[in-house]
Amino acid sequence: MIFATLFKQLVRRPATNPFPVKYMPRSVTGLLGKVAAGKASIHPPIPAPVDLRGKIAYDAEKCIGCQLCVRVCPAKVIEFLPEEKKIRMYVARCTFCAQCVDACPVDALATTPDFLLADTDRFSENLIVQAAPGAAAAAAPEEE
Amino acid sequence: MTVSVGNAVWQGLIILLGGGLLGLVYKGFDRKLAAQMQGRIGPPLRQPFFDVVKLMVKENIVPDHAVGWLFNLMPVISLAAVATILFYLPLGGYAPLLGGYGDLVLILYLLAVPALAMMVGGFAASSPYASVGAQREMVMLMSYEFPLAIALVGLAWRLSTILPAGSSVFSLGVLAANPLWGLVGPLGIVGLALLMLALLVVTPAELSKIPFDIPEAETEIAGGILAEYSGRNLALFYLSDAVKTVVMGALVVALFIPYGLSGLAGLTGAAGAALDVVFFLVKLFVVVFVSVIVVRVGFARLKVNQVARLFWLPVTAFSFLGLLLLAVDRVI
Amino acid sequence: MHNERINIDLEANKSAVAYSIPIGPTHPALKEPIRFSFELDGERIVGVDIKPGFAHRGIEYMGMRRNLIQTLYLSERICGICSISHPLAFTMAVEHAAGIEVPPRAQAIRTIIGELERIHSHILWAGVGAHELGFDTLLHLTWNVREKVMDLLESLTGNRVDYAIPIISGVRRDIPEEKVHLAAEALDYYKRLLQDLIDAFLHDKSVEMRTKNVGVLTYDEAIALCAIGPTARASGVKKDVRQDWPYYGFADMEVRAITPEDFGREPVGDVYDNIIVRVLEVAQSIEIIERCLETMPSGELMSIPKIPALLAALKKAEGEGIGRHEAPRGEVFHYIRLEADVEEPVAWKVRAPTYGNLMAWVPKFLGDEIADIPIIAASIDPCMCCMDRMHFVSRDGDQSTRLKEELVRLSREKTRRICG
Repeated sequence: MIFATLFKQLVRRPATNPFPVKYMPRSVTGLLGKVAAGKASIHPPIPAPVDLRGKIAYDAEKCIGCQLCVRVCPAKVIEFLPEEKKIRMYVARCTFCAQCVDACPVDALATTPDFLLADTDRFSENLIVQAAPGAAAAAAPEEE
Repeated sequence: MTVSVGNAVWQGLIILLGGGLLGLVYKGFDRKLAAQMQGRIGPPLRQPFFDVVKLMVKENIVPDHAVGWLFNLMPVISLAAVATILFYLPLGGYAPLLGGYGDLVLILYLLAVPALAMMVGGFAASSPYASVGAQREMVMLMSYEFPLAIALVGLAWRLSTILPAGSSVFSLGVLAANPLWGLVGPLGIVGLALLMLALLVVTPAELSKIPFDIPEAETEIAGGILAEYSGRNLALFYLSDAVKTVVMGALVVALFIPYGLSGLAGLTGAAGAALDVVFFLVKLFVVVFVSVIVVRVGFARLKVNQVARLFWLPVTAFSFLGLLLLAVDRVI
Repeated sequence: MHNERINIDLEANKSAVAYSIPIGPTHPALKEPIRFSFELDGERIVGVDIKPGFAHRGIEYMGMRRNLIQTLYLSERICGICSISHPLAFTMAVEHAAGIEVPPRAQAIRTIIGELERIHSHILWAGVGAHELGFDTLLHLTWNVREKVMDLLESLTGNRVDYAIPIISGVRRDIPEEKVHLAAEALDYYKRLLQDLIDAFLHDKSVEMRTKNVGVLTYDEAIALCAIGPTARASGVKKDVRQDWPYYGFADMEVRAITPEDFGREPVGDVYDNIIVRVLEVAQSIEIIERCLETMPSGELMSIPKIPALLAALKKAEGEGIGRHEAPRGEVFHYIRLEADVEEPVAWKVRAPTYGNLMAWVPKFLGDEIADIPIIAASIDPCMCCMDRMHFVSRDGDQSTRLKEELVRLSREKTRRICG
């Protein structure tokens, strides 16, 4: 019988990791506005372990354009840009295996613990990793 | 007592509204406390109100092969029946509104009506899941009615041997006004405790809660009786379930713990009445907590034959034993 | 002999069949799509028809169009719960075909992650089982304690599921000294918890009432239907890849198959026995991991550490290989065929554990009640989308069912086509 556990649990804190807010707010955008203005607070995300395989960081300076990452990527996330001899990654497709990081011979790629990547637009600036940050708009999806 | 018709209507409306609200509040507590015991955060207390409002505005779908008028009528009958019981229950320090027009036997019948309504609704839906659920509800009804009847009749009979001849011992008002605990000997107290236990076991079955939620069994028959119900009809069943929780709780309170605090605290008038109502709500909560919430989180769902065996053998035996002890107590 | 039992039951009750209910493809009791049609006599099941094939994803086909490193991560996505078992069997098959050795330290790390996965999978199963019984409290409590091993896996491998840790010729991440204590702490936690698990599942009256003598698969039926994994072991069949075909460090550890006898119960093959086997296997996995951590060999992690060299070696490789691993649900089997100068595998065949256990459902269901359907369905710990191997799409739309003979003929033709 598990009644002892049940009654103990009655006075314990719930095991659920807290959501940003406990209950659905009346207006999500209103709440976000308040948070931005410093009038309300939300629970921070649960800290991730340091070596979590999150979003891939790309150092274009180091990249030599060897295309090894393109060859090993299982999800075909990485596009090779022949003119600049650099790569562009579409994070929305990424499976976070980080095989490209292992494959890179010059350590131009690295994992970050950044995992809060939800977005409504799969081509948003946050979800495209490439050389110059401002160039995302110019290189909008030509295929797809 | 003499109450004018206008007054009675007003009081009736208040009782109906209060019963409905109270049922939903207790449902909120039920979900919150169950979640807490399971290590979850759970929904806000007002979630049942949201649910009812949401269901009310949703489309009401009647299956193609269903018997439409039966299907739509049953939720109304179910809610009407349980709401009617509210008028026969002593609430707090107040005597039952319709105390003079019906008694315990009527309550017994009214309690069976929602189950019957769900059963008919289930058959009318003509879905295999609903049919299985309705069959199970039928078995359930036959199982728990017997111990329930023994417990109620046993109490009334014992009271009739104590009160002067001619008193209406089947009236809940009279039963509540003369708590038996103080009127019987030690054997009788043991008997009463057994009857109370039987009633507490019957309560979750009457309310179709785990471990007796087999007519609805979500993982087995996908909601069973309620599988085809949606929108307004589902909201009515939801409400009738909420009210039924209050009714069963209030019945246990009226039969076994009808004590008030106002006499003890020496309060009279409005303050005393308020204290009694609050105390009544607390007693109701304790009964619901013990016999519904804790039981619902502490057990697995039983099978229909196991439920039938449980009620026919141990629970019936317990209530018979209680009745026997009450009888022996009288002889001694 | 199982056929007799089935036939007898069906014949005797043909006249009594009152109605049939469908369960699935979507139903609250099912976590993945599959369709059962039950013939019922009151609440009793007298006939069952199983129709899989709703979740075929064509993964084998996709794998044959990618190079072996890409296919490795694809194999990981066959199953979200066995997300180390399939890559392990896959790498084993490729290493077998290409003749690549795995360094001892890498073997130990693979073993540890594999056994951690068994702990999490069995605890997850226990929670699902409790939910099917209508015991949601137990579901929430067991899934709560499962978080510990998930966190451990996340910190050891970098991912919560789909760990991406094995690679052909070794493993990708070491378990450094500073993380060993994390693992030891988690194992201690589960050792303390074990008695609670046994109390909550094996000594709980209402769980006993619902699981004893429910969904019985006798010893003979388990043998005849080739049941595997915990499903077979619950029937008393001492069958475990780690025991019968030891790989990595299992040969030294003398792992033996756990049956209900270890709990002091004569094997019946019911759901209760399934719970016993799975709970005891959690204890067994803890032991194995502890031994691995104690005797962890030092050395390199990959025998071919450079990715271009690995790709080149795999391109040169020729031959066929098999990989077998005891996944939490039973044996997972991968077959692979490589040809020189072709980067992609020429043939890749996967047999997920559920495939072997699918037919065990039939004798388990027969004679039980509607109320037992969810727990019996869950008792083999099914994973439909791992198991679904084919899907007929016809322009004419008339051929949705193929019988055994035709399937065998088609399979043979395909094998000849692939193997030349």
